[in-house]
Amino acid sequence: MNLSYTLRRYFIFNIKSKFNRSLSDAQNFLEVKGKQQENPLDSIRKDMSEITPYFPESFNLSAYINSSQSLQNLLHLNINLSKIEKQPHIAEKILKLDFNNDMKDHILFLKDYVDMENIGLFITKNPLILCQSIEDLQVRLNYLESKHFSADQIKQIISRNPFWLMFSTLRIDKRLGYFQQKFNLVGKEIRQLVTRQPKIITYNLHHINTNSFVIKEEMGFNDDEIKFLILNIPKLWMLHQKSLLERFNYLHNVIKIQHDAIMTHPKVLLCRNFRIKQRHLFLKSLGRAQYESIKENYVPITALYEGTDVEFCRNYGKCHIDNFNMFLKTL
Amino acid sequence: MVQIRNAAVAYKTLNGLICVYKPSCVSVRQVQHIIVTHLCRELNDLPGRPLEKRVEIVGPTNAPMEVKLVPNYADDPLVCGPRYIHEDIRCSWATHLGLFSSGVLLLGINDGTKLTYLLNTARPTRAFKVHGQFGKGTDTYFWNGKTVERASFGHVTRAKIDRVVAHIQAAHQKTMYELSGLHMDSQTTYDIASEGLLRPANSKLPVIYGIKCVHFDPPNFTLEIQSVNEYDKYLWTLVHDLGVQLKTVAHCTAVQCIRQGKFTLPLALLRKHWQMEHLLNNMDQCRQILEDNENLLRPKSAQLTI
Repeated sequence: MNLSYTLRRYFIFNIKSKFNRSLSDAQNFLEVKGKQQENPLDSIRKDMSEITPYFPESFNLSAYINSSQSLQNLLHLNINLSKIEKQPHIAEKILKLDFNNDMKDHILFLKDYVDMENIGLFITKNPLILCQSIEDLQVRLNYLESKHFSADQIKQIISRNPFWLMFSTLRIDKRLGYFQQKFNLVGKEIRQLVTRQPKIITYNLHHINTNSFVIKEEMGFNDDEIKFLILNIPKLWMLHQKSLLERFNYLHNVIKIQHDAIMTHPKVLLCRNFRIKQRHLFLKSLGRAQYESIKENYVPITALYEGTDVEFCRNYGKCHIDNFNMFLKTL
Repeated sequence: MVQIRNAAVAYKTLNGLICVYKPSCVSVRQVQHIIVTHLCRELNDLPGRPLEKRVEIVGPTNAPMEVKLVPNYADDPLVCGPRYIHEDIRCSWATHLGLFSSGVLLLGINDGTKLTYLLNTARPTRAFKVHGQFGKGTDTYFWNGKTVERASFGHVTRAKIDRVVAHIQAAHQKTMYELSGLHMDSQTTYDIASEGLLRPANSKLPVIYGIKCVHFDPPNFTLEIQSVNEYDKYLWTLVHDLGVQLKTVAHCTAVQCIRQGKFTLPLALLRKHWQMEHLLNNMDQCRQILEDNENLLRPKSAQLTI
């Protein structure tokens, strides 16, 4: 009973709304017919240059660039717009900016810290910096000055890490504190670290934490060695932990290079594992894989990662590069 | 070798088969990706075509309008993206090599993908060097597996290995006739079989044409296998079976493809040489080999020629 009542109500309502709509349509039609005076086939004397065809929203920026002076100016600065449009939410924000009002001051501001030829690369990496307010950027620079970074260092930090200025002073301060505490650094050392590798400060902290664990617990370096490593090759903390451990595992457990030997040439950890592996196996096949400096026929660890293969063969393999290539095809 | 000056010319010449050396622990897809990335990068570095111009008609429509030729900003590589991207270069492999196998790998670039299809259906033999070790058996039959068994191997001699290996080869002769698709009792089969070995008609079952032990230094040994339709796991099980038949256990330590059809190791490009210049040279050499051996792509009889 209840259901049939609801159904009937619904039906009546539908009919009513349809009837109303058709009525209003008829009225509109009458009005239009009254206004219409011109035949569409007549030639028009008016200026029609403002009328453009329907232009739907585009998926890339090249559709807009010919009509947008701002985008053209960005292109003249060598900014790679094709990379910016890969992230639609950023492209949308950039499109809403006007060059003279919103972007000019930012670019003039950045010009003091980034070289003119690198400014395109800088904004390509971090286009959202154009959406930040200048005051914020100035505050973040003042923070660096207050922490006794020299002008040269600040320039290096900003130009090498485009994302630095996006971080609020609070976050940067927290992160600097984190690094200082975690690796037991004094003021001078943290400044050295930040200038050497500014990206590490804004890097994913979870990643830094895992790599610290890998280096300390899994690889077994002690605190002093870790401090030496972070000050000399901070890139170690930005590598993938799995590949880092694989490299160390091969060096330490297969080639049997001790920790102190790795500490004298820490860059060996930055070399991809397959390169070290193939050179080591080649030296082994020649009977030259002897990395201890106190014994005869010593080959330095640097041989495993430095220089081209030709140099390696000439200096340490004492053979022609073809022999090395032939060997690689037996692996 | 001609000097490539233009990206368009370079792109047009990039059609054909290349022979690369696949390292172990790098998948075939990764190899493809590396090669295509290198090609794209080098094509984009070459001088490309000049920027297009744009015709613009401006002014009010009720007065004489102005026609202008202006630079087209939309055509700039910085705006519309690099000229050559991954999707522009097709790449396919002729026969798959497993993740842990290394060795000769044939890849078709652009129009060469058709060649890889033909090569795959022609089923040329592949030669493998399979390294194994006695004394330890693993659950995957490969070195990366969990050790499940240990056994002594002092009783294994070169002569015993040779006997078992010869037995495996003989057993595969029978499957070869079964897979050739010929009727076993006919005169035609007899005629063809009397001439030599037969190709398999489909790619379902592995066939081993030759297997011998080329190196024996207990506990390590190396087998050289000539086969069709094989895959890495099959070769691992072969090593395992060999161990069982020798009354010990064995696992495979490495699989290396040293020949596919007429494509041999000296032709294969090492990972450090996967650049356009070397790839184009390699493509020429491969084309030469295909021209010299017509039956590599379109074999005319059921006989095994390569």
